[in-house]
Amino acid sequence: MSRPERSPSRRGGGRVAPIDMDNERETQKKEQEQRRAAAAARAARREATRAARRAREAQPVRVADKHDGLVRVTHWAHVALLLGLILTGLAIYWAAPVFRHAPTPGNPRGDYFIDAGHALASLFGVPGDTRYWLYERTSVGPYQLANALRLHWLFAYLYMVCGALYVAGLVRGGGWRALMPRASDPAEALAMIRYYLGVVPHALSRKPWPHPPVVGKYNALQRAAYLTMPLVGALVVLSGWAMHKPATLGWLERLFVNYDGARIVHFTCMAILGSFTIPHVILVIADGWDTFRSMVTGWSVRLKGTPHA
Amino acid sequence: MPDKQAKGPSLGAKLGAAIRRAAASAAERPETSRETTRGVLAARSRRDFLLFGAAALATTTVGWWLLPERAKRTWLPGSADRLDSLAARVGLTRMQREANLNRVLTFDDDVAEALFAKDRRVRTYDRADPRPLVINYNGRIPRPEYVAGWRLNLSGLASGRTESLSIDELLSRFTRHDMITRLVCVEGWSHVVAWGGLRFADLLSAYPPAPGTRWAAMRSSVSLDDDGNPDPYYVSIDLETARHPQALLATHQAGAPLTLAHGAPLRLVAPMKLGLKNIKALTDIAYTTAEPADYWNDRGYSKYDGL
Repeated sequence: MSRPERSPSRRGGGRVAPIDMDNERETQKKEQEQRRAAAAARAARREATRAARRAREAQPVRVADKHDGLVRVTHWAHVALLLGLILTGLAIYWAAPVFRHAPTPGNPRGDYFIDAGHALASLFGVPGDTRYWLYERTSVGPYQLANALRLHWLFAYLYMVCGALYVAGLVRGGGWRALMPRASDPAEALAMIRYYLGVVPHALSRKPWPHPPVVGKYNALQRAAYLTMPLVGALVVLSGWAMHKPATLGWLERLFVNYDGARIVHFTCMAILGSFTIPHVILVIADGWDTFRSMVTGWSVRLKGTPHA
Repeated sequence: MPDKQAKGPSLGAKLGAAIRRAAASAAERPETSRETTRGVLAARSRRDFLLFGAAALATTTVGWWLLPERAKRTWLPGSADRLDSLAARVGLTRMQREANLNRVLTFDDDVAEALFAKDRRVRTYDRADPRPLVINYNGRIPRPEYVAGWRLNLSGLASGRTESLSIDELLSRFTRHDMITRLVCVEGWSHVVAWGGLRFADLLSAYPPAPGTRWAAMRSSVSLDDDGNPDPYYVSIDLETARHPQALLATHQAGAPLTLAHGAPLRLVAPMKLGLKNIKALTDIAYTTAEPADYWNDRGYSKYDGL
């Protein structure tokens, strides 16, 4: 059917000349045919796009499943929990620092963190009272002991559950095998250190700098780091319990020599777990999207046998 | 040597073989890959990244909600109020937070209570820390006048009476026990101290609490605040702990009678509890059926405080 309201002859509005009906009908017919042809062409194009997409979606891809679902979920949960534990842990530490020097007028507890805060604040030219400068940036703040303790217990219980699930995921997915040390590890680790030290100079001088061969899922440094994390995680939990229940778990407190021994181990573990994330994040960025994605989706298209990117 | 051949491989060889077998079974397996299609991968990725994003958003929201007020105002002074009202819109109010975090404290206290064993002795030491014991008193040290008229008042007894005992009565009627234990403060410092005094258990046998009572409400009416105004200190102690042989009503520290700063003339020393339960200058003990109030629990700390 014709749609006169869309006919070009009716546009312009002010035209009053008599209309040639035959000519008009002819034009309409032609336009109709043109429209039909255009619609058909569009449909064909759409169909072609769809077919291309279907073909692309049907394209076979080989993937390797890298990380068990439990490992992935708990890996990311650890990011939040570790952050929460450090922010609250340092606020608890503020109440009674374990690393101390003789008291000074501005620092009666002899807390090195307060000194470091002063030093950093004066470096950045911060005016005013800068005693708590570092605590305010690395913890939920001074004078927050009751709040920090409640939150630390919450995160600590979740951390233990999360850690247990992480190990369960390593076992279920068989990922633990890739973390076991090998006899060849020292030599491979040295080769990796040499490689990392040479990356930037070789990139600057545009000389080739091939990645040392990696046999298996991880290189020797990764294996060492990824095995150390759960072990340090277990140690941070044990030293935490030694501090939390020294009377009930007296044997555990003795394992760390004494109460302050447990505090020092707990603090050191925190430093190791926290500082691990820095090279970890840098190397994941350097390694590329596939590596990051594999910790979200589990699979990787970077198969062994294909050259390392 | 035919004898040895008959025995088969030596122990060392067997051990070596066992280690090799264990190492082989722990060895990394060659990577296996599977075939799928781009379409399946795209759909899976979309789902996983949407979940990842939703979880990250939820974690950030809950994290903000859990932050102490001071941290919120230090880190985002401009938008803290706006973010708080946004969180409140999804039910994450300050009141909700307090209720939930106090539930965490109760859970942790329940763990501590479940771990308590009345026969377990707290670690003792050969000698005390030579440094002077920290005075971590929250307020001013009480003036010495109260000591002369000091009495320990007991109520909630099986006899139905109230008792009032002087320090001389306590010292002469009960055996003195000495112990060197660690005092652990909630703040994180600790101190090995030599204590002397009577066992709380002996007082409980001499003046048994009324049947059905489970708690001792312990109080120091002479406590002062920062400005020197009366600020009674009160703690709750479960009777299981009170009956523990290492729960002392101490009269001596480092061989000398308690000083005013350390709670003269009588204080509680319960090394299986945090230091804040070790009430100084004790004046009243009331045995109760319901759990009594606790000074630091009223200020956001846990209540059972078992170490």
